[in-house]
Amino acid sequence: MPKLIIDDIPVEVAPGTSVLEAARSVGITIPHFCYHPALAIAAACRLCAVKLLDGPVKGIQMSCALPAQDGMVVSTTDPEALRMRQLVIEWLMINHPHDCPVCDEGGECLLQDFTIAGGHSRRRYQGKKRTFQNQYLGETIHHEMNRCIECYRCVRFYQDYAGGTDFGVTGSAGRVYFGRFQEGALESPFSGNLVDICPTGVFTDKTGRFRARYWDYQFAPSVCQHCSVGCNTAPQNFQRETIKIVGRRNDQVNGWFICDRARFDKGYLNDPQRPREARLDGATCGYDVAIDAAAKAIGKFVAQNGAESLAFVGSSRLSLEGMILLAQLARTVDGARLCYFTDGGELTGSAAAARLLNEKNSAYLRDIEKAECIALYALDLMEEGPMLALAVRKAFLAGAQIYLVDGDPIPAREKLPFTFTAVATLDEVPFEGGGRGVVIAGAGKKDADLLDQLASGGAKLVMLQPGPNAMAGGLLSLEFGGQAFSELASAGKIKGVVCFEADLPEGLIVDVEVVACADWRTGAAAAKAPVFLPTTTWVESDGTAINYEGRAQRFQRTRVPGLPLRGLDPKYYGSTADAVAEHPPRVHRKEVPGGAERDAWRVMAQLIERLGGRTIEEPLTGRWSKLKDLDPESEGVRVFNLLQGDPRTDS
Amino acid sequence: MTLPLFRHNRANRVVTFDEYREEGGFEGLKKAFTGMSPAEVQQTVIDSGLRGRGGAGFPTGRKWSFVPRDLPGPRWLICNCDEMEPGTYKDRVLLEHNPYSLIEGMTLACYALGVRHAFIFIRKGYEKAAANLAHGIEEAKKAGLLGEKILGTEHSIDLDLHLSAGRYICGEETALINALEGRRPNPRQKPPFPAVKGLWQGPTVVNNVETLANIPAIIANGSAWFKGLALNPEGAGSKLFCVSGSVKNRACVELPIGTTLEAVLDACGGMREGRKFKACIPGGASTQFLKPEHMKLPMDYDTVAKAGSRLGSGGVIVFDESHCLVEATLNLITFFARESCGWCTPCREGLPFVREILTRIENGRGEEDDIAILREHVKYLNYTFCALAPGAMAPLDGLLRDFEDEVREHIVKKRCPLK
Repeated sequence: MPKLIIDDIPVEVAPGTSVLEAARSVGITIPHFCYHPALAIAAACRLCAVKLLDGPVKGIQMSCALPAQDGMVVSTTDPEALRMRQLVIEWLMINHPHDCPVCDEGGECLLQDFTIAGGHSRRRYQGKKRTFQNQYLGETIHHEMNRCIECYRCVRFYQDYAGGTDFGVTGSAGRVYFGRFQEGALESPFSGNLVDICPTGVFTDKTGRFRARYWDYQFAPSVCQHCSVGCNTAPQNFQRETIKIVGRRNDQVNGWFICDRARFDKGYLNDPQRPREARLDGATCGYDVAIDAAAKAIGKFVAQNGAESLAFVGSSRLSLEGMILLAQLARTVDGARLCYFTDGGELTGSAAAARLLNEKNSAYLRDIEKAECIALYALDLMEEGPMLALAVRKAFLAGAQIYLVDGDPIPAREKLPFTFTAVATLDEVPFEGGGRGVVIAGAGKKDADLLDQLASGGAKLVMLQPGPNAMAGGLLSLEFGGQAFSELASAGKIKGVVCFEADLPEGLIVDVEVVACADWRTGAAAAKAPVFLPTTTWVESDGTAINYEGRAQRFQRTRVPGLPLRGLDPKYYGSTADAVAEHPPRVHRKEVPGGAERDAWRVMAQLIERLGGRTIEEPLTGRWSKLKDLDPESEGVRVFNLLQGDPRTDS
Repeated sequence: MTLPLFRHNRANRVVTFDEYREEGGFEGLKKAFTGMSPAEVQQTVIDSGLRGRGGAGFPTGRKWSFVPRDLPGPRWLICNCDEMEPGTYKDRVLLEHNPYSLIEGMTLACYALGVRHAFIFIRKGYEKAAANLAHGIEEAKKAGLLGEKILGTEHSIDLDLHLSAGRYICGEETALINALEGRRPNPRQKPPFPAVKGLWQGPTVVNNVETLANIPAIIANGSAWFKGLALNPEGAGSKLFCVSGSVKNRACVELPIGTTLEAVLDACGGMREGRKFKACIPGGASTQFLKPEHMKLPMDYDTVAKAGSRLGSGGVIVFDESHCLVEATLNLITFFARESCGWCTPCREGLPFVREILTRIENGRGEEDDIAILREHVKYLNYTFCALAPGAMAPLDGLLRDFEDEVREHIVKKRCPLK
């Protein structure tokens, strides 16, 4: 363990730690551009210069590329090191535009920060700035090459880390250019990370450019709800609109990065057409009126048809809180059916995962990255868990053998950022002794017994889920006897349904009465329901989600629900007190326009109360109470032990 | 006098394979393959005192000795023929007259290092040299001096000619290795050094053309003979000097190490009629100026280093009293600024800054502060990723050290005093 002194502070670090990281470990930030913890060392920007006063190396050194050694005496504030850093900024500013106010990166720009920190204010270079032609890189990423400071982070991420081939670096000297051979949309499904990783404004999020400054955003730690990986994100909101979504570091789940779906698929959150108001028989009504009506309708239906012909249906879009209360709601109406899944196959798959996986045999990100042999079993990895493809690539680059089992190798070969051997069955994959072998299975049809067998042989398992919180659905289905709605419906056992954020295909509910429906989007069930209750999305609510590896993660409300201010219907400007239209509109109301949505679990709690159940303030009770204080900025908690510790006696 | 490199040269044509053999060519190879162990060959090169002729002057035998003997997997030898230093054209002259010394020298180096497969990395512009080498490799193969089972022994060595797109930075050995692998020619972080992890992560030795071409004669005649060629006691062997600028006959000449600067110029007919020596760059563009008081300086690595410059590649550019050294330095900096690979900030952005300032000074728009800015660059451009920018700063350093008055005169008079 090398011991060194940095700015008079004694530091001891693991062998191989760079001086930059050693300094960071004691709270000293050495400025840097090209260094990024997830990428290989480039030592290109030369900003992290420090001076070695004593020890095995002396003089000005780049701290990112210098392994800490015994006896080093490092100064990060030596005048010579400071001058070097100032010069690096001056050199970079020779060509960088001096127009931060009209740059979308302004306010969240590393170059801006360090330029100001270094005190660069006077231009000594008298020549012209070099300029470039920008490229069209698709509808999501804006390119502005004049701002480039050539830190090579983009190309190191895009090519080396993510395995992309259509973006790279051309030219030399002062004409180094980062772009594509020809204009066109970036092909990598991870291209959006260029926005996060670029230390200045070369790559910005085209979907949210110039909408707000960094300090305007309202944001909070969140968890992506697009697949069962559960990558950590931070949605950035402005005036009730989710403008951008950026990656949030969690070394156990997604590392530093997120996929493009997580980043750019956000239009539905801001959609002004989203159902915003409670409805009763087609007319808008107060929320509590609608809840009363729903309770009454449920009671009436049960009296007429019996509880066993009523199903409470949720989906993996519900938070864990919602799922727990759905079971309690079904229990309140004694004899009613409980469905977390519509599709029978999905229920079987998630229940099998819930039954099979435990703390020991379930693989997470680091297990995949360190695996020696990986089998992709009956899945489309780029669809079901794109970020895991980068973990597999990491293992691949370290020499792991990758096998594609029971999949179509032709499209996979084009999409996956690693090469693999296609085999027909899992038996053909040579898991030698099982150690450091990982099977990544899709949500589709798979042989659970075979997986069990492999796991007992020592291989670790990933069982991707059909939806963001489907693992919770599997766990609760086991606990409360959840059934698949499609099977109940086609067997004719169901006459009525109460939907919570469930996507029921129109065909399944032709002969079924939709008693009530709560959702944040419209679908067949919502259209049919006499009572409709709008709910909040994951960016507007607090909640917990359980990912494919049984990790519970808390997401926080990142903004209030309601219609985005931009494009707000003029009817909301109209003052109730004064019929004369004012300009500018000055209307002061307590309610947020279109902000009546409630969290699904709260709606359920209110229904339970109305149906004669008890009052529920906190959905995470019993064994789940351990998740009550889960820190949204933590790495999350795996819930398997939690479940084993407690029998199925949730009250 | 039989200096090793140009002894086979014919005027205006390439020496033939037969002529080369008749004049003692491939004797060294025969001697080594039939009577010497690889370790003996390496020891002979160490004892000969041969130093890298590409510019850095690192002892060749020592460089070889850094290759770990016990690593599994292939090891590689690369001949660096990406000659692009302004004022340097020795490898071109050598190869356009005689490709065989290099081929034989590489075969010997492969034998000493245990290399099965070696590459010649040659600039695209050197088409004639490349054609000579391609032809020479074929003939050596036909004669059993290269390829499978050389001279009937168990040793097989292949030589591949790689015509590179070539840039100045490809002469940096790790950038060259990247280029040979098909990557961008950006230098690599050292350590690990190429001798441990180079081409395709294998142990790799990169040597200059002239260095390798010396080896046949060293093996054939012994290390003592080679050492004895030099005129100064510490030196060894001969050196190709390519002289350009204000001399009568601009030429590439082979002279013993330790020849005085004056004698080098005399070998090119001395100064041009009516011109007076002002300064010269002794070893390619990335070396400091030598001045009239250095005329008796023996041209060897350590002696020139003591005089504050470097023997470098032996590319001597001679300036007379009518030449403006600000303009000359600007010319060199322009080259270096263009040839930066663009990897690290100081080189990519600092060199154009220097170029801009020198341009202003030369055009009479210099300012008093400029000299301080230039001095700052001389200092801080040392902290770059590779040696390109520090090399580029050498002539500027020399200019500010020895000719500051000339620079100041430009600024004060607001014009070039020599125009």
